[in-house]
Amino acid sequence: MSPSDRNALPSSLGQAPMTGAHIADIHYEPVAMDPDVRVLKIGGQSIMDRGRAALFPLLEEIVAVKDRYKLLLGTGGGTRARHVYSIGADLELPTGILAATGSYVPMQNARMLQMLLARHGGIYISHDDFEKLPLYHRLGCIPIMMGMPPFRYWEKPAENSRIPANRTDAGVYLSAEVLGARRAIFVKDEEGLYEDDPKKTPGTPLLTRIGARELLARDLPDLIVERVVLDYLTRARFCTEVQIINGLVRGNLTRALAGEDIGTIIYKD
Amino acid sequence: MSKLVTGDGRTHIESPLMRESLVDRRVLATTDSDHERAILPDVVLVSVGGQSIFDRGRAALVPLAEEIAAARAASKVKMIIGVGGGTRVRHTISVALDLGLPTGGMAQLVGAMEECNAIFLNTLLAQHGSITMPRDHFWELPLYLDSGILPIVISVPPYHFWEPPPEEGPLPTHGSDFGLFIHAEVLGMRKMIFVKDEDGLYDKDPKKHAGAVPYRTIALEDLLRELPDETILDRTLFQAWKNARHVQEIQIINGLVSGQLTAALAGEEVGTTIFKMRAGE
Repeated sequence: MSPSDRNALPSSLGQAPMTGAHIADIHYEPVAMDPDVRVLKIGGQSIMDRGRAALFPLLEEIVAVKDRYKLLLGTGGGTRARHVYSIGADLELPTGILAATGSYVPMQNARMLQMLLARHGGIYISHDDFEKLPLYHRLGCIPIMMGMPPFRYWEKPAENSRIPANRTDAGVYLSAEVLGARRAIFVKDEEGLYEDDPKKTPGTPLLTRIGARELLARDLPDLIVERVVLDYLTRARFCTEVQIINGLVRGNLTRALAGEDIGTIIYKD
Repeated sequence: MSKLVTGDGRTHIESPLMRESLVDRRVLATTDSDHERAILPDVVLVSVGGQSIFDRGRAALVPLAEEIAAARAASKVKMIIGVGGGTRVRHTISVALDLGLPTGGMAQLVGAMEECNAIFLNTLLAQHGSITMPRDHFWELPLYLDSGILPIVISVPPYHFWEPPPEEGPLPTHGSDFGLFIHAEVLGMRKMIFVKDEDGLYDKDPKKHAGAVPYRTIALEDLLRELPDETILDRTLFQAWKNARHVQEIQIINGLVSGQLTAALAGEEVGTTIFKMRAGE
């Protein structure tokens, strides 16, 4: 072989760049990997940091339905993650370092859930165990993972902030998207999405159903979900809805798992 | 000493972000500052292209490996080598597209093809002190670099199944060039060198357009104003570079021409240098 030769395998992509507009023309019929999995996020600050009072009733609901659905639980971070981000920002560290260190709190929370659900089949899984989900479900297990995506040091530098844009909402949403699930359920401590933060502005109206694009256009200063999740929803192939429910109200999770439209649903519009 | 705060049903640790919404732009802005700590500023990240170098086999790779070994022995420059996957990545993606695998599934697959190239390069450089390093073993780098070891890493970022849905088309957008860029940026490196098979960046793909004009030096800000449709580096890299703080310069050189890498490592202007203007310049 001379240096002038590339030993190229023939493929439909040829020598075209791997990104860019022409790629949109390629024929592609996506196959859903495991669309029946119910992907749940258990909030950090909203649920885990409330301890037993909030968590135990939720776990009872999960255990009661665990043989009815294939579940995947992802955990949020909460106040310890906020402490990590505060220290990291104070040290003027790059966003990627904050994303890597910010992963350890959701990991702890996932392990706490595993300990509480162990006798019902709760197992802690890492990102690398994702391909074993069918096995875990077949064995009647409840797989539990940290909500953070595995981007860690490769999280992009954020604009006007050091806090990673992709945190546990994004990770849980992306788990649902790649599995081909239609909806991801975020269990928080509010009825859903309000016009403003109800903890700070009481009486603000609840939005029961709103399009991601519409919500982005409102350009609200604050939201109940990470902003990137709205971006991802606008381009979703499978997971076209995110449902936000109040996990402090007994029965809400059971209803949401049964497909009831409670709380707020943000959809691909 | 941090205090625990209760009273609203949740237990908080006192910190400036306590009780705050990390989605609130006003809160996010408080975490920003002009300065950012550079972790390993004096290291240069050198990317060896997949299609451009590895897929040409011995004829291109052996002389380049010898040049890497010689340049390092002569100048003691601290560098990390990143490798691309080349034509096998394209083949992987084209099969995955035909099968209808989800975007995250494609992202899960491609790193494996780069692992092969990391091992190939390591077989050529091991006697000169190279090692294949899992890409995120950052905290071992001082050990390697201070002992004269040359780490070789794969390039794609570990987005895996969690690759975000792309803005258009089904292909993952966080590819090898982006992955290496973030690798350099998060560690506070100032310079990257991309070893390809062209004399730098052109206004059009020189393999398809005879009249393509090369850039010698160009500011990122000027390049972004009229980014060519087909660039030798991924678009996502340029987008990420806009918000980046550390990488000041990216040089693109021809690894088929003996001496270009040595010259680039010595700070000489060969190929194309894209530089980022600092604020106020």
